[in-house]
Amino acid sequence: MIRINCPYCGEREHSEFTYGEDATRTTPDNDAPMEEWNKFVYERDNPAGEHIEYWHHAFGCRAWLKVQRNTFTHDISWVGLPHENPEAES
Amino acid sequence: MSGFRHGEGRLGDATLNFTFDGKPMLARAGDTVASALLANGVEVVGRSFKYHRPRGVTSSGPEETGALVTIGAGGKADPNARATMEPITKGLEVFSQNCFPSPKFDLMSVNGLAGAILPGSLFSAGFYYKTFMWPAALWYKFYEPSIRAAAGMGVPPKVADPDIYDRVQSFCDVAVVGGGSAGLSAALSAAQSGLRVVLFDEHNDLGGQLLNEANSEANADLEQWRADAVAALKAASNVKVLTRTVCWGRFDGNMLAAHESVDGKVRQNYHKVQAKKIIIAAGAIERPLVFGNNDKPNVMLASGARRMLNHYGTATGKTLAVFTNNDSAYQTAFDYADAGIKVSAVVDSRQYPSQALVDGCKSRGITLFTQCVVTEAKGWQAVRSIEIADLAANGQSVSNRRRVSCDVLAHSGGWTPQVQMAAHGGKPPLYDKKIAAFVVGDQAPDTYSVGAAEGENGLLAGVAQALHAAKAACGELGKEAGPIIQPPQDRDGATNIVPLWSVPAKGKQLVDIQHDVTAADVVQSHQEGFISVEHLKRYTTLGMANDQGRTSNVNALAIMAQCRGISIAEAGTTRFRAPLAPVSMGGFGGREIGKHFKPVRRTPMQEWHEKAGAVFVQAGMYLRPQYYPKAGETIDDAYERETEHVRKKVGICDVTSLGKIEIVGPDAAEFLDRVYINMFSTLKVGKARYGVMLREDGIVYDDGTTSRFAEDRFFMTTTTAKAGPVMAYLERCLEIDWPDLKVRVSSVSERWGAMAVAGPDARATLTAAFPSVDFSNEAFPFMGVVHAEHNGAKMVILRISFSGEMAYEVYAESDHATDIWQTIIDAGQVHDIVPYGLETLGALRIEKGHVTGAELDGRVTLGDVHMDGMASKKKWFVGKNLKDREGLVHPDRPQLVGLKSVDPRTPISTGSILVTDANASAGADKQGWVSSMTYSPELGNFIALGFLRGGKDRIGERIYAAYPVKGRTVEVEVVSNHFVDPTNERVKG
Ligand SMILES: [Zn+2]
Repeated sequence: MIRINCPYCGEREHSEFTYGEDATRTTPDNDAPMEEWNKFVYERDNPAGEHIEYWHHAFGCRAWLKVQRNTFTHDISWVGLPHENPEAES
Repeated sequence: MSGFRHGEGRLGDATLNFTFDGKPMLARAGDTVASALLANGVEVVGRSFKYHRPRGVTSSGPEETGALVTIGAGGKADPNARATMEPITKGLEVFSQNCFPSPKFDLMSVNGLAGAILPGSLFSAGFYYKTFMWPAALWYKFYEPSIRAAAGMGVPPKVADPDIYDRVQSFCDVAVVGGGSAGLSAALSAAQSGLRVVLFDEHNDLGGQLLNEANSEANADLEQWRADAVAALKAASNVKVLTRTVCWGRFDGNMLAAHESVDGKVRQNYHKVQAKKIIIAAGAIERPLVFGNNDKPNVMLASGARRMLNHYGTATGKTLAVFTNNDSAYQTAFDYADAGIKVSAVVDSRQYPSQALVDGCKSRGITLFTQCVVTEAKGWQAVRSIEIADLAANGQSVSNRRRVSCDVLAHSGGWTPQVQMAAHGGKPPLYDKKIAAFVVGDQAPDTYSVGAAEGENGLLAGVAQALHAAKAACGELGKEAGPIIQPPQDRDGATNIVPLWSVPAKGKQLVDIQHDVTAADVVQSHQEGFISVEHLKRYTTLGMANDQGRTSNVNALAIMAQCRGISIAEAGTTRFRAPLAPVSMGGFGGREIGKHFKPVRRTPMQEWHEKAGAVFVQAGMYLRPQYYPKAGETIDDAYERETEHVRKKVGICDVTSLGKIEIVGPDAAEFLDRVYINMFSTLKVGKARYGVMLREDGIVYDDGTTSRFAEDRFFMTTTTAKAGPVMAYLERCLEIDWPDLKVRVSSVSERWGAMAVAGPDARATLTAAFPSVDFSNEAFPFMGVVHAEHNGAKMVILRISFSGEMAYEVYAESDHATDIWQTIIDAGQVHDIVPYGLETLGALRIEKGHVTGAELDGRVTLGDVHMDGMASKKKWFVGKNLKDREGLVHPDRPQLVGLKSVDPRTPISTGSILVTDANASAGADKQGWVSSMTYSPELGNFIALGFLRGGKDRIGERIYAAYPVKGRTVEVEVVSNHFVDPTNERVKG
């Protein structure tokens, strides 16, 4: 069972959370061309390995969190707030 | 009749009564069903899955393949229970399975004969796949019923299980899976670190293979070590010992799943244990040898026969023969001989067993046959003799067949480490030639496999591994594991196995005894091209029975590898998946069953509705009144009456289930401008506006009414279905996309009870109910918002309409909502106010042409529902960038229309497809669909909303609503979706 260390609540079982979306994408500008929005909405990488995602602590504090999860092992190596980023591996 | 009580074993003197197929029998406390049946002389316990071959007890552990029984009766019945794992309790009812009329005489065993006469036909490899290719007519008429009658195991109970199951969530530092000598040692050592330790073992008694040892004078010190270890663990406050608990899977984040059987109010506990470190000491199980009729009752695994004698005090027969390809089975022969039971032969397929073993046989007067095999077990129901033969040096042929008499044959094909749990968490296991079995390859993180589970069968060597693992596990957690007292004796783990994967012989040679898969099936699978291990499994159903291939896997892989001329290592194993043992569904359900399966949400007015005789319907999680029937009314009578009454007079409807969100902050208006397609920054305080949200891809997401309470304070309503998702979406927008906006959102869905008051007399009713509020058109116009109080209860009243009638939505604080509701009902008496339910709510909105979730189904654009004009051109909003993509604005898209049945009293089924041909068949040009329907009392006609290609340009056309599932086609006229009051006069009245 995946466990996520919510910065507000501490470590909780993933059933308290709902998966949100890929957090590696950048929202285009409001007036960006349709092609760019199309790409943003439909094109996703599907990496086998480290991935950064948004999760919602829906049955907890209701914060949206940024989570670094290994899609292959499900290991969670970092959890932060939406505007934060994991430090690059040294 | 061959088994009998012999000696004490480790059981007490107390006796218990139980029944087998209704026949009373006697057991001793500590017996399993298997040991008790054997002690009572039962040989045939049941019949096999496909061929209905007689089956008996084959082991004394979880690897049991033969003795599957039903435990208990009625709702408590537990089918397919392994007799070796079920303790006898007082008065236990045990039933044989898959037998008609009795296990000894079974009419269906003709299947076995058919299989023998026509190899490759009934039930052989690929049977299911081939059968499905036969003519379909035969399948329904013949195959399906006859397979159902013939194949299968226990019958699931037909009544609900009355027992309680619980779920237990816990945490530990070190989890030890398996309570044999290695597991006990690891747990004892880890426990001394002070860390929290959990020990799982699926048996009632801890000790693992130690329980196979004779409980004799010579072993007294070893037995004492076991007893001391168990006592020390049970006494330690930081150790939880879970016996009769099968740990059946390991999941992400080191979560172990286990089912514990308990005697008490609760039948089973389903444990989810979050472990920091996992020591797997799950041991090894013995593999059968593959020879003719190796599934016959009284053919047993040597270790099983040994434990029956030494632990359960039950001799499995009066004359024992042993067949082996390794050293370990000799001890079974020796223990039986030492206990005074005749041992007629040890048949060893190897040429040169060690001198010690040869001497051991000689000193006990046991005849030893080397370079010899058992070709066939013989006897009508159970073993009465064996045929043995000399094995050619190349292993390909036999000669010099002769008979040896015995009534139990103990065999051993080597040992299979229990690697499943380790494999759940990591890489596939690797083949180890030395022990002719798979062992754990790379250990998964935080995991240590030790002892026999890691291929180390030696007693002290396994304990040494366990202590090493405990030290490492505790060390990584910053603690120190402690020393333990070593077992006072050793057991050599070397089996000196020379693999013998199958014996060249006649008769059915079962590989997977539970699923009736034979060596011939594996060969056939190879011949038909299903050669990868994963294909082999699916083609033959090998390893799919409730032992999950524990006993059969290695043998089958080896036979396939032989067919392919490759090594076993190259053939590899199938992937191990949880659960590795059969587990009950009850545990997963826990107490969340029946009405507790999911929460039921009730509105504040629930009791009022009940008293008014409402019929309820589940809408999302809410229980909502569907209609309020008067005496003798059908649902149609009731909703037609309610609908008509609202249009003529006034009605009241509970709409509490709508989502309600307060949006507060200096940037609240800007925020709403971004999430809604239309403007909210221009909305005046005290006014409400209908709003529509799009998804980023331009598809309609949700709609609702948002009111402005103050410059910086808005009150949003969402549809019932989207209440949760919209709230999460708004939070996401604020936290991720626009953290700079100074806005807070909070769900106030629970704070307000809500009721819609609709109809020409709505104003008069509310004026009478709340005299302090001015409901005049001037003071409270359409889309107006008023805050009010009644008897100290806060209210918000919106003048909005979902029905097309003059209507108000009254939001009252939940605690007072029923009072407010009652006040309105009382005031409405003079206008004959009626409560109306979901049916009428739907009828009214369909008549008015309003869309709901049935229309806004996640595929619909603004243009499809004629709302494109609402989208603001002056601002950006979510979905704006993609809503005008080519496919989303294509003129051929089906658009919202109204539909009227040409024969007014013919209903139009929701879900119908719209076609132009009355006799449309599959492949017809589908031009749209029907999304919702009702009877309209106002029009005296069945009407519907739907989506039709060409939409509004086709008004007046007659087409067909076809519902092929029920063979129903209705002629309909395309009309405007605004059936009632298209010019919107009534709402403003
Ligand atoms: Zn939280």
